[in-house]
Amino acid sequence: MRAMTYSLRRVATFTLSLAIGLAAANASAELVVVVSSRSPVPAMSADQVAAIFLGQTGRFPDGAQAVAVDQQLGSNQRDGFYRQVTGKTPALLKAHWSKLVFTGRGQPPREVPGDAAVRRLVADNPGLIGYIDRTALDTSVRAVLVLQ
Amino acid sequence: MVLNSISGKHLPAALAICAFACLPLHASAASDDASAPTWKLSGFGTLGAVYADTRSADFTASVLRADGAGYTRPWSPDVDSRLGAQLDAAIGDWSGVLQVVSEQRNDGSYRPQLEWANIKYQVSTDLAVRVGRIALPVFLGAESRKVGYTIPWVRTPVEVYGSLPISNSDGVDATWRWETGSLRHATQVFTGRTNQDLQNGLRIKAEHVVGLSHSMERGAVSARLSAASAKLNTAIGAELFAVLRDFGPQGVALAERYEILDKRVTMVSAGMSYDPGEWFVTAEAGRTRTNSLLGGGTSLYVGTGLRSGAFTPYAGYAQVRADVPTSDPGLSSAGLPPPLAGAVGQINAGINSFLKTIPSQSTWSVGMRWDAATNIALKLQLERVRPHEGTRGTLINNQPDFRPDRAVHVGSLALDFVF
Repeated sequence: MRAMTYSLRRVATFTLSLAIGLAAANASAELVVVVSSRSPVPAMSADQVAAIFLGQTGRFPDGAQAVAVDQQLGSNQRDGFYRQVTGKTPALLKAHWSKLVFTGRGQPPREVPGDAAVRRLVADNPGLIGYIDRTALDTSVRAVLVLQ
Repeated sequence: MVLNSISGKHLPAALAICAFACLPLHASAASDDASAPTWKLSGFGTLGAVYADTRSADFTASVLRADGAGYTRPWSPDVDSRLGAQLDAAIGDWSGVLQVVSEQRNDGSYRPQLEWANIKYQVSTDLAVRVGRIALPVFLGAESRKVGYTIPWVRTPVEVYGSLPISNSDGVDATWRWETGSLRHATQVFTGRTNQDLQNGLRIKAEHVVGLSHSMERGAVSARLSAASAKLNTAIGAELFAVLRDFGPQGVALAERYEILDKRVTMVSAGMSYDPGEWFVTAEAGRTRTNSLLGGGTSLYVGTGLRSGAFTPYAGYAQVRADVPTSDPGLSSAGLPPPLAGAVGQINAGINSFLKTIPSQSTWSVGMRWDAATNIALKLQLERVRPHEGTRGTLINNQPDFRPDRAVHVGSLALDFVF
């Protein structure tokens, strides 16, 4: 029963992502902010997501500990994510983090290369939050915010 | 160079360095997920050149400098140039930071100084405690003012940041993060002491340093309120005050008013910035009190800029007003015999030459920042600096032909980098 629900969900997700993939083929890639499918965190606002990724809070809205995972510097996902969620360019983000680093207040999120690696890491740890291309969504992670 | 700063008076900072050196030893003992310490070396710097159109005084970024642009040389690399290096170590909930900065000092050298040296323990997700040397979190960004890359302009406004009597504290601090709805707060309290070499044969000692800094963030808006207080001791003008005390109750009263002997210094400030990305505006106001010849003043600045691709044109206004008289009639020479009256004249001139260094000044500035790469920014800034109320403003090395209330025009070029 459980296996069937699982595979049904997989099929549904697959069809959904296929449909979105086709629809978005001529637009720029859509990004989703994801947490582990085991995480109870509900949908989040862009502001809540930004606060975690900018090091302003260490918690999800429900109070659970939150640790951000970044994609690689210079990747389309990373530039698009920060542009949409924080309105900041890579240079502004560098300035933001330099301010925190050189006052001993924090270090930027760890970097993981590519959608698959971010998804794998986030799926395994309910305390993590990352962002991936919408086409890379599967049932191991859950979207808490869709960026378009 | 680091060892120079370590004395009994710098115990917390010294302790932090020792603990830092011991960090790898903890590595084998720890059994957490983060069982190996992570080390990170980073740095920042500015290559700057500043021109000032006066020949009667030097324009500089801080009073603790040997010289600047103007009197000493028309073009000076010493106003903004600096290099900083930082070593970060982290293991589990513990982390440490060691930062040295090389910039021109009061003695003209570039000998590196220890800016930060502390060990942090993350008690919980929201509470962190540090022991060691921290830069005082006064004004919107006094702690990060040396990292030119993090600010839109060439340097933080000299009217606001140029005359902080102390900028460090060796002690402890705690930062607590909390939320009310969508408003995020960070409350920081600190206490400590500092004993800073002014590199002119004098030291400035601050004891019972206590303070509070409260930051708030909500979307594009951020704000900070801060207050700090300390008991100051320094021998600036000691000879003058010794002589003054020989002139009876009148002299003693003057000495007590101006001498920096157990004088309580207070600094309060409020700042706010709005930065939705495409443009920004930032403003802050502060007040410093010392009840001494260091004076006191109210400062404010407003700055705004537009971000257009890699270019950020900006403009700003800053001012500081002395809240105390910048001159004093001094001792009365009425009825004194001529030789003594002459001495009184010299003493009074001495007092007033100190009071003239209490800044009153305003500056208009325009500039352009070009983010040439994600870790390099090039800036060009033009300023009109005008000292007021007969003071020399934030200028130093003023010569006999220096005329207050006359504007000085300053042009700055700066290349900021972080790595």
